[in-house]
Amino acid sequence: MSIRSILTLLGPFLALVVVYCIFGAMKPAMFTSDVALNVLTQTVIVATAAIGMTLIIISGGIDLSVGSIIAMASVAAATLVTEGYPPLIVFGGTIAFGALCGIVNGGLTVGLRLMPFIVTLGTMQIFRGGAKVYSHGTPVNLPFDTTTYKAWMGGSGLPYGVWMMAALVIIMTLVLRFTRFGRYVYAIGSNENTATLCGVNVGRIKMMVYSLGGALAGLSAVMVMAKTNQGDPTTAMGMELNIIAAVVIGGASLSGGEGTVIGALIGALLMTTIQNGCNMNGIPTATTEVIAGVIIVIAVIIDRLRHRRAA
Amino acid sequence: MKASLSLALVAALALVSCKESGSNGKLTIAVIPKGTTHLYWKSVEAGANKAAAEFGVNVTFIGPQKEDDRSQQIDLVRNQALQSDAIVLAPLDATALRDAVKDVTDKGKPVVIIDSALADSSSFITSYVATDNREGGRIGARRLAEILGGKGKVAVLRYLQGSASTDHREEGFLEEIKKFPGIEVVSAEQYAGATATQAQDTATNLLTRFAEGDGLSIQGIFCSNQTNTYGMLQALRGKNLAGKVKFVGFDCDATFLDALKKGELHGTVLQDPVNMGYLGVKSAIDKIKGTAVQPVVDTGATMVTPENMADAKVAALIKTQVQ
Repeated sequence: MSIRSILTLLGPFLALVVVYCIFGAMKPAMFTSDVALNVLTQTVIVATAAIGMTLIIISGGIDLSVGSIIAMASVAAATLVTEGYPPLIVFGGTIAFGALCGIVNGGLTVGLRLMPFIVTLGTMQIFRGGAKVYSHGTPVNLPFDTTTYKAWMGGSGLPYGVWMMAALVIIMTLVLRFTRFGRYVYAIGSNENTATLCGVNVGRIKMMVYSLGGALAGLSAVMVMAKTNQGDPTTAMGMELNIIAAVVIGGASLSGGEGTVIGALIGALLMTTIQNGCNMNGIPTATTEVIAGVIIVIAVIIDRLRHRRAA
Repeated sequence: MKASLSLALVAALALVSCKESGSNGKLTIAVIPKGTTHLYWKSVEAGANKAAAEFGVNVTFIGPQKEDDRSQQIDLVRNQALQSDAIVLAPLDATALRDAVKDVTDKGKPVVIIDSALADSSSFITSYVATDNREGGRIGARRLAEILGGKGKVAVLRYLQGSASTDHREEGFLEEIKKFPGIEVVSAEQYAGATATQAQDTATNLLTRFAEGDGLSIQGIFCSNQTNTYGMLQALRGKNLAGKVKFVGFDCDATFLDALKKGELHGTVLQDPVNMGYLGVKSAIDKIKGTAVQPVVDTGATMVTPENMADAKVAALIKTQVQ
């Protein structure tokens, strides 16, 4: 890693440590393993989807439909479980379902040369509505005796979901740094025309990015189902904004060409830490919202200042 | 130009077809719930449809997609006022919906408020048909005090800021629990949020705050509606604490019944949504026909416990809310 990219990561990481320590100074219980476990577990859903969103944002795109994909895929996952399919099919099927949603986004964006912001604003409604139509607007509950998925988001020790999140961050970091695909994603986000002139198949890479984003949203949906024991068509409403915020706090640029997966993870952890820290200190919910917003704005301001200096 | 012309044509056609659908001479009453996902609202719909069949009116049941989208509900009220003879509304917010409702009643169309109160509205609304939510909260407090033997620390997980019905339940609970000097409320400042997933996170964090060894430093928990009761139950199960703390909730679904049987939930307050939908529509019809209407109608609240859930009357009530 170059000095510059380490510095980019250091900013959000320091913010995370400082915020965590401030809450910890107010309430030492913040440093117990129970709270750390809550923070990690409650980050899984946003972080898993944020990994996919990072790729999309680096490539210069955006996906506003990710919350809706999670909701629709969680209904699909819960339906597969109630139909009696084994975990392998549930995971595979739901991830494939998410990927399919991503292909729709990518296809419309690439094939018809539409703005991803507008396309995904539309598909956000389509997917959300589709989930409600399919489930008649009510959550699909898992059978009560289902314990197969409990260990993914709960149980004793570190849930599998947390390991999965860590593994995904490592894998995608390596993919972005060391594969041709990864370099192309940055190249397209930096300058699409130059990338085309250099012989990059821009359309194909973009399709891959959007379908990967959808697949990870599908995986995130399985985690939602594992956590709540249901597939709820109204879940993750507005979560796309948390996911995008995590990516941007982590140092990504909404104009493309910049960003890291580990940064997105840190951004997601920062937001969960604020939620936890405020709750642990008995800070009323409304105040918590203000604090979360202020910290996001500060993080972005610091990031811009650093960029200006670097430029 | 061509595109905008054809768009206008489509819009005009849509308008015409809308107009035609409602004009078969019957009264049309719009029922606007807070949301459409909870089974609870489907029971309200069932009650409204029962009244529709009994009194020969049309009922349009249409709600916002998300249980905290006030702006969409205001739009619904204004739109439905154009094509209905009366509106039965469960307001998402005690004050945000007030102007929209007042505009409708000023134009001479009756509005019946169900489920949650509308602030300072008794002068213009037809009737307020709802569970006495404060009483529901008090019933919950008495049940929790009873199973705690009158002593211990309790936490209240609130639902959503600005939701009058749950505010009243929480206040009713807090008022009544004060009458038990041995019981201390250690937290009542956390709001769960609109979805079950958010509620589960808030509940998990709250439980962590009161963790003590393998157990909890609190002995009792109260939640004020289906969403936060579900979230709390999932959080308790996730931390293997279900059954180790006395837990009284509100509303009902199949999961709650399972939890009642397993001793993880020790009581839940049930409203009567079918009756609410039925009496809401009936009050609107009475007003249009000029019959006298009570300004406040209580639809009742019942405490369901593991002991009484098999009783015929309670079982029938449960059936209105659980498939």
